[in-house]
Amino acid sequence: MTGIAELEVENESIAIISIVGAWSIYEKHSHAEEFIETILAKPSIQSVELKFVDLKSWDSVLINFLICILNSCEAKNLTVNVDNIPVGIRRLIELSKTSPVRSTSPAGQKKSTILEFIGRVGLLIFFSLRTFLGFTGKLWVGIISFIGGKVKIRGREFALVLQEVGAKALPIVFLISFLVGLIIAFVSVLQLSQFGANIYVADLVGISMMREMGCIMTGIIMSGRTGAAFAATIGTMIVNDEVDALQTAGFSTINFLVLPRVIALTLMMPLLCIFSSFIGIFGGLCAAISATDLTIVRYCAQTAKAVCLNDFFVGIIKSCFFGFLVAAIGCQKGLQCKRSAEDVGLTTTTAVVTSITAIIIMDAIFAVIFSLIGI
Amino acid sequence: MVPKISVKNLNMTYDNYVIMRNLSFDIQQGEIFLIIGQSGCGKSTLLKYLLGLKRVSHQKIFYDGKDINSVINVPGFYGEKIGVLYQGGALWSSMTLAENVALPLETYTPLNRKEIEEIVTLKLSLVGLKGFENFYPSQISGGMQKRAGLARAIALDPEILFFDEPSAGLDSVSAKRLDDLILELKESLGITVVIVTHDLASIFAIGTRAIYLDVESKTITAMGVPHELLASSNDKNVIAFLSRGTKTVQG
Ligand SMILES: Nc1ncnc2c1ncn2[C@@H]1O[C@H](COP(=O)(O)OP(=O)(O)O)[C@@H](O)[C@H]1O
Ligand SMILES: [Mg+2]
Repeated sequence: MTGIAELEVENESIAIISIVGAWSIYEKHSHAEEFIETILAKPSIQSVELKFVDLKSWDSVLINFLICILNSCEAKNLTVNVDNIPVGIRRLIELSKTSPVRSTSPAGQKKSTILEFIGRVGLLIFFSLRTFLGFTGKLWVGIISFIGGKVKIRGREFALVLQEVGAKALPIVFLISFLVGLIIAFVSVLQLSQFGANIYVADLVGISMMREMGCIMTGIIMSGRTGAAFAATIGTMIVNDEVDALQTAGFSTINFLVLPRVIALTLMMPLLCIFSSFIGIFGGLCAAISATDLTIVRYCAQTAKAVCLNDFFVGIIKSCFFGFLVAAIGCQKGLQCKRSAEDVGLTTTTAVVTSITAIIIMDAIFAVIFSLIGI
Repeated sequence: MVPKISVKNLNMTYDNYVIMRNLSFDIQQGEIFLIIGQSGCGKSTLLKYLLGLKRVSHQKIFYDGKDINSVINVPGFYGEKIGVLYQGGALWSSMTLAENVALPLETYTPLNRKEIEEIVTLKLSLVGLKGFENFYPSQISGGMQKRAGLARAIALDPEILFFDEPSAGLDSVSAKRLDDLILELKESLGITVVIVTHDLASIFAIGTRAIYLDVESKTITAMGVPHELLASSNDKNVIAFLSRGTKTVQG
């Protein structure tokens, strides 16, 4: 311990704090709390004297120590003799007091009970649904005026987004779909071979890829890949005032930023979904012919027999909706971003989580609807 | 004469926290109007209110005597009537400098490609960035981004130009050049300029009138010609600010 303070009480009424040694943030040192406690424990003490006997060196810890002592003495109306404080230290202490104090802290988390927590989460979901609906409304106005030719989107920008969400997504969609097809096939072979029903692997893989896995997998991939990118890009634009600049240059953020992205992804998603379904079936084929005695021809013939046009369209319709959802949620979350780098990260995470959840919920709703109308 | 911009009893808030209250001032046609004050006092926020980027109740801010809430929805208000240079330039990062400047021209004017290109080159050379047409914002320095932002702001020769700390981050030569350009634009085109700044050199060099936003009292504590403010004001914060803040340090 190098930075030391000692307390003596003189005549029962004056507390003398002697400050000795080298005070450094890297070394052990005395803490103000002990002194304050002792001083406050003796009501007879009227004033506090500070003595700097053999002060070798000091930095922020000593300043902090003194400020703590000064503040608590002031709060208890004890007089403190500050004349002995070395000039440099005294100036820094005074400087720290001249800073104007903001009376409320920025909105932050407060501790809350479980009921408050549930209530807050409920409200949050309600409000975010409401803002999303408001946003979708504006978006549709934009889409309709685009279709009506009243709003133009920049061709080059649109082409870039199309390329980004279409062609450039093919490799990852290929990889994931192939593996998903492969996995489904292997799992079903294990079960079906017990009944000598290997051939039905083709049915399982075909129908599940076409109806469900194709569009869900592309949906999830695109949330993580494109929805996140949209949110991060737009969020960063907010941080850099670019969105304000758009607005004050007279451009609508919806038409300029959101519309091209939503249209591009809604157009590209069905294509990706078809691609994904076929690759998945191909993956299933590879697994089936390597794990069983099925031939390529038989597998293909069985797939063709099992999968009907309905399944194909179910996948396409769903993927249009998923594309719209992923892009709209990505952009909407992006536009809600606040003004720091941390917010951009948070925004991106929220965008991905929300759009994946939305996809799964939407898929469940579709499943119910389709089973009701018997497709 | 109806003031170009007039603010009446404006209170500025974030959520429920009051940043400034009871702001009232007029900005006349052809002025170089300065909004000055310590950093964090709410200058950028005031600019946001003036630009219609933060929602404000009726009868608070007027452009040519008309309420801002009705004005901002009139096509041509943004871009044609007002131009803005943001604190960091705020160039659209997916576009080159030329495209940044050209976008408003393409959107709002019937000019052909060639003319647009020529005007873009003209505006970029006004801010000393000739030859940087095909650079992306990420490929140039912060000060250059700011100057390019100015080129974009004056693309459509707006009636009112807003600047948020134009000279922060610029070297003294570029800052002087910027001051000259602002003066030139005002003299030759008769535009009104509103500048948020704490750069003393430009305050005294180009400002025709200034308001001082005071952090402590949360309102305007001085208004007038910068030189006279320094001579006549008896508010210690104003004097400290205008004479390089030496007074506050001594407390
Ligand atoms: N988004 C925000 N939310 C809450 N408070 C903010 C926000 N932006 C700025 N503030 C507060 O408003 C005050 C003024 O900020 P600003 O207008 O940026 O100051 P400056 O005068 O330096 O431009 C600061 O005290 C800041 O804490
Ligand atoms: Mg600012």
